[in-house]
Amino acid sequence: MQLIVITPSGELYNEMIDYIVVSSKRTGEFAILDDHAPLISAIDVGYIKLVRGDEHVYTVVINGALENRDSVVHVLAQEAHVGLNKDSAFEHLNAVRKERLEENRRRTKDFLKAERELEKNIKEAKASK
Amino acid sequence: MATMRDIQKRINATQKTSQITKAMHMVSAAKLRRAERSINAFRPLTDKFAAVLSRVLSGESDLSHPMFEAREIKKTVYVLVSSDRGLAGSFNSRVFKAFDAHVKEQHGSSDDFEIVALGFKAYHHAKRRGYTLLHDEVIQMRDEVQFVDFQNIADRFITRYLSGLCDKVVVFYNHFINTLNQEVKHRTLVPLEQDPFLDADIDKDEPYNRIYHYEPNARKVLYQLLPMYVVHVLYGMILESKACEHASRMTAMQNATDNAEELIEDLTLEYNRARQDAITLELTDIIGGSEAVK
Repeated sequence: MQLIVITPSGELYNEMIDYIVVSSKRTGEFAILDDHAPLISAIDVGYIKLVRGDEHVYTVVINGALENRDSVVHVLAQEAHVGLNKDSAFEHLNAVRKERLEENRRRTKDFLKAERELEKNIKEAKASK
Repeated sequence: MATMRDIQKRINATQKTSQITKAMHMVSAAKLRRAERSINAFRPLTDKFAAVLSRVLSGESDLSHPMFEAREIKKTVYVLVSSDRGLAGSFNSRVFKAFDAHVKEQHGSSDDFEIVALGFKAYHHAKRRGYTLLHDEVIQMRDEVQFVDFQNIADRFITRYLSGLCDKVVVFYNHFINTLNQEVKHRTLVPLEQDPFLDADIDKDEPYNRIYHYEPNARKVLYQLLPMYVVHVLYGMILESKACEHASRMTAMQNATDNAEELIEDLTLEYNRARQDAITLELTDIIGGSEAVK
């Protein structure tokens, strides 16, 4: 069966695999094997375990939809990250998100400071007059 | 009259400004290409998401969701998509002007609506106008905008809609037509129209495929997917607005560079004239001096 993971920046993963195990906070865990009946599900925060032979790869997903049809599984994710084990993949995704929010806060602070300074300078230089 | 030195100073200053505007033009052009790539990369995701939703809705005809029910409008949430920085021509003012006019026409009191301001500029505009904001902190619209940047506020207005605290969510944003043309659009984000999903019947050739299983069930899947879809649509608008911002800035910077070059040309002419005058004056002095010696 084929698994395609699509994220906002394009296709993240497109490979042939044996089966997948889907785990989501709200819906729990289930597996999809080859020739599974057409299925649609949603993933709030969870992961997909991709199995090919002895190989296991994990894709952690935040807010996504899953559709299985004709042995092709489409995962549509707002955010996803592929890792060799789920804990490290989750850790990485959370670290990236945290860093991003932190950076946003820092930028806001810097921006507001720069704006205050600019206003002060304009006032002092009487450039607005 | 300006001296030669004054004119030279102005020429140098204008040249420096034009170098900056030229660089900004090139940066914006590169960012515009990147923004267009992001829009193209995002399109398959929205299309597929809409297709999945259409399958859920067409397969289960008795499904309903508050997001499909148009209610009496008592309170509206407006999402203003702007940029963080200026120097982008009329990119931001266009949105604000259209929004202010809309609000003036539609609402008698400012208590009838709340604002979600995406980007520094929208935040400051809302503060200046005294509109009620749904959030205290600034929500940044960075060049490589991500879901995590606005997910919290999107969840907040979706929850408000679902709990009946607001009855409509409208987005004001710049719609990208091409590099030179953009227009302000306002689009209702929620409630959604159910018909476009039902019309998008993708499985016409394979009717047996319409019998889908849902995990855990169709209703729960729909209740999880619809808010995600709304955020997706908003993200699409933000990406479009980003492309507009870069296109606007590119045009504005091109105009600024052209104006600077024109000014430099005029100033150079003025400088040469002043130089000529100075030489003539010197020659007259020399000739006058030599005549006096004779």
